[in-house]
Amino acid sequence: MATDMADPSSADVAGTEHLTLEDRVELLRAMLLMRSIEQRAMNLYRQGKVPGSFYDGFGQEAVSAGAAFAMAAEDRLCILHRDLAAHLVRGVAPARILSQYLGRAAGITRGRDGNVHFGARELGCVGMVSMLPDMMLVAAGMAMAFKLRGEARCALTWFGDGSTSRGDFHEALNWAGVQRLPVVFVLENNQYAYSTPLDKQFAVNPVERAAVYGGVGVKTDGNDCEAMFEAVREARERAVSGGGFTLIEAVTMRMHGHAAHDDMKYVPKAQVEEWRAKDPIDRQEARLTELGVDVAALHAAVNAEVDAATEEALAGPMPDPADVLDGVFCAGPAEPLGDGRAPWSGWAG
Amino acid sequence: MPQMGVSVAEGTIVAWHVEPGDRIDADATICEISTDKIDTEVPAPVTGVVAEIVVPVGDTVEVGTVLARIATGDGAAAQAAPAEPQRARANGNGHAAVPEAGPAAVERPTRHRRYSPVVQRIAAEHDVNLDEVPGTGREGRVRKPDVLAYIEAHAAQAPLHIESPYRPDPDPVPAPAPRAAPPEGEGLSRMRRQIGQHMKRSLDTAATCTTWIEVDMGRVEAARAALRVTALPFVARATIAALREFPALNATLQDERYTRHDDVNLGIAVSLGDDGLIVPVIHNAHELSEEGLAARIKDLARRARARELTPDEVNGGTFTITNPGQYGSIMATPIINLPQVGILDLEAVVKRPVVLTDSDGNDSIAIRPMTILGLSWDHRALDGALSAQFLAAIKRHLEGGLP
Amino acid sequence: MATMTYLQAITSALRDELRADERVLIMGEDIGVFGGAFKVTDGFVDEFGTDRVMDTPLAESAIIGTAIGAAVVGMRPVCEMQFSDFISCGFDQLVNVAGKMYYRQGLAVPITVRLPSGGGFSGGPYHSQNPEAWFMHAPGIKVVAPSTAQDAKGLLHAAIHDPNPVCFMEHKHLYRRIRGEVPDGVWETPMTARIAQPGSDLVVIAYGAMVHVALEAVADGLDGASVEVLDLRSLVPLDEEAILDSVARCSKVVIVDEANATCAAGAQVAAVIAEKGFEDLDGPVVRVATPDVPIPFSPPLEQAVLPGVDRVREACRELLAY
Repeated sequence: MATDMADPSSADVAGTEHLTLEDRVELLRAMLLMRSIEQRAMNLYRQGKVPGSFYDGFGQEAVSAGAAFAMAAEDRLCILHRDLAAHLVRGVAPARILSQYLGRAAGITRGRDGNVHFGARELGCVGMVSMLPDMMLVAAGMAMAFKLRGEARCALTWFGDGSTSRGDFHEALNWAGVQRLPVVFVLENNQYAYSTPLDKQFAVNPVERAAVYGGVGVKTDGNDCEAMFEAVREARERAVSGGGFTLIEAVTMRMHGHAAHDDMKYVPKAQVEEWRAKDPIDRQEARLTELGVDVAALHAAVNAEVDAATEEALAGPMPDPADVLDGVFCAGPAEPLGDGRAPWSGWAG
Repeated sequence: MPQMGVSVAEGTIVAWHVEPGDRIDADATICEISTDKIDTEVPAPVTGVVAEIVVPVGDTVEVGTVLARIATGDGAAAQAAPAEPQRARANGNGHAAVPEAGPAAVERPTRHRRYSPVVQRIAAEHDVNLDEVPGTGREGRVRKPDVLAYIEAHAAQAPLHIESPYRPDPDPVPAPAPRAAPPEGEGLSRMRRQIGQHMKRSLDTAATCTTWIEVDMGRVEAARAALRVTALPFVARATIAALREFPALNATLQDERYTRHDDVNLGIAVSLGDDGLIVPVIHNAHELSEEGLAARIKDLARRARARELTPDEVNGGTFTITNPGQYGSIMATPIINLPQVGILDLEAVVKRPVVLTDSDGNDSIAIRPMTILGLSWDHRALDGALSAQFLAAIKRHLEGGLP
Repeated sequence: MATMTYLQAITSALRDELRADERVLIMGEDIGVFGGAFKVTDGFVDEFGTDRVMDTPLAESAIIGTAIGAAVVGMRPVCEMQFSDFISCGFDQLVNVAGKMYYRQGLAVPITVRLPSGGGFSGGPYHSQNPEAWFMHAPGIKVVAPSTAQDAKGLLHAAIHDPNPVCFMEHKHLYRRIRGEVPDGVWETPMTARIAQPGSDLVVIAYGAMVHVALEAVADGLDGASVEVLDLRSLVPLDEEAILDSVARCSKVVIVDEANATCAAGAQVAAVIAEKGFEDLDGPVVRVATPDVPIPFSPPLEQAVLPGVDRVREACRELLAY
């Protein structure tokens, strides 16, 4: 069932039969927005305006952009820290994201949590916790509810190669297999868990574990947003038609350190250079340029949007410490997750 | 518990140096105590065998309370140590006891009473003196039900005119004290309370009057600079000389018994900072020179602040000098340290323009180091003329040199 | 209104919820066909089916984690830990995911975790624990601990209706020993303390099984003393008003925990009294709790560490005499 990895050197212009040109531009736009916001945030971090630490997904933009693009509005996502494009695809405004990084009142968690720890409830997203594969079980639980209620919906979550060593990874795959749940697990294999390389993390590639737990394992090119889209689209179709879970290994590379403080000296330079040539944005731009898309104009539009968002975020107030004790408990009725934005043309019909 | 100065009413056992059964020589240290004014060792009053330790370490008891019993002679008798014998009572373990003085001694609690927060709060709300409340808790502890019962039993019925049909409305129930309200100021330390009581008693008892005199300190300033000491020992020396001339002020007045003393036992008030002050006494001060006085004052002040004074060193004063002058204040009305009849106040020495008259009767204005000495004296014991003469004598000694 | 045991009251609450609210689902190990290790859900699958009375894999983290997922998409999962001891395997999901979710992103997690707790029957170190204080310390989680059949039902309804994660501490020792009149249908017991026995000389503060130990300890009147027993019922939120009210009236306090003493629920109660009830105290706050040891297996060892009637009575006598 595993698909072969696309040749990263070829500027494949065929795309998939399920994507219109507008979809493909939208994918590029999501990746550009992610990169632009994260570069801006890293600058703000270095200027001392972003507190705490800062984590980005530089070089991994295709994984979240492509996967989120395949999800329907009523699907639910648990988004991890290198998957900013998923938030953007679901419809989170860049200014809210930057406000979040800056610890501002207008951030998604209103300053309660930092950096990439957020999920916009009204857009059907659940924020991550730092115990990374925890959200696999939450996603499985959402899928369990969909199945119990007979709904044609799907849950999806991302996690890294390091997460595959923890018990919750195994409990989630097992549970999803036992109950044949409509859930998609995206294993973002970016070669390093902080500084730990793959050969110290597992003896058997985790994607091969899917089958033994009763699901389907798929290996795909995590630096190709269209390949990611297609893998997840297929996995979602399998999920909602009763075919159970899919574990997609998105092969990619973490091009920055674990966080802003990490110079990743432990990564060989040659490895970085090799992956730089496979940059997911460059690849999508090459495709679209060949198809006559004005990529420079897209760049300019995205940069202008992020400029405005940065300005808005910086102008926003910090949260009021007088409210810091509010909201530990929910006092009113529980508001469930809402539906997110689903820009893929396939949802229009 | 020995009396450690006039104002001390109680003391706390810090340590025992002996155990029951130990032999102890008279004057050997038997225990250490702490009072409001000093911490000190207590010497055994007699030689003998320790029969019983009555007051354990940490307990605070009133002055006069028996601390321990020492069996003397052939071990047939137990002597209370070091309190007055009439406070002793039978110890019930075979030793013959000194006869009882009365039932009060029998019932007197030997343990300082401590009260729980709720008992203290209720007592404060109802203005109850807890010392009067019988305790039914462990070791006579006053419990909440005890204080409530006391209040109920003592709730005074306002007497009404017997013919009147009128009965007043009951008092409105007072609102309960707000929980966790911030305390309004801190309670006074025991030492402050004792000082306050002592001073108030003085003002209530003595017919206090204050007289001032201005003194040219030029000669003293030169002399004290040479000896590298303060002006205090010079003033002390001049005062001692004046006291010898006017023994009416080197005196004590107690219960209308007025006693003049030959020896000058000079008290010097020493500040203990925030804690309060203490008045160590230089016994036989008339035998000391300025230098000797300076050395004694320095030593007593150091040991007072280190809480190392012995009981004798704070007792037996016949006159007191207080010297807050180092901060620049120029006049005060000191309160007499009863049962003494006079106290001299030395304030700052300040350079002032003064009119000098030479032997030819020519006046000139000169800058001189001046001070104002204040004498509070007890009008019950003496009169103003004597006080003025006494002050004049001090002035003379300071300005003209000692005889 | 029917007379039922503590266990039957829990069963009644679960059954009434399943009947009344289609969002409610019960998840746990061996709870379906088998009816649960303590037979709380005996016969449930026949009425509600295996989807709503779900036998799960043996994976506590997964039980809590999937319950969280189901809850945030609109379900009202009730998780059963077979023994409260096993919640340690689900600790991370409960504390880090469920407990902090609403504060971080406004997403409520209405899950109930039933925790059969407590010792007294040679369960040994892994079937006797009282882990409630672990969760009192974690923000965002409510903790309730009924002592009577009526409260077992009423608090379980309240827990299931609550939009927050709730740990429902059900004491195994009470399951079949305690019975009482329990109203039918769906209703709630408030998460506040109740006075199990009024008094004015001393108050024993307890919860769960220790309420009964306290009631028995003071049953003979303790030499005529008037002893109050305050049943906390809820540990988070903690009914400070009721605690301080009892302390103000009685002024002497004995706090009983079956849990290990250090940082137990009773330690928090003692702290509240020290902080806010100091001026009402007429003696030291006395605690009776299990010493800080794993619960031993052999009966004489276990009885030596668990707070019993005699220890509580002795503590009350001592404090009354103070």
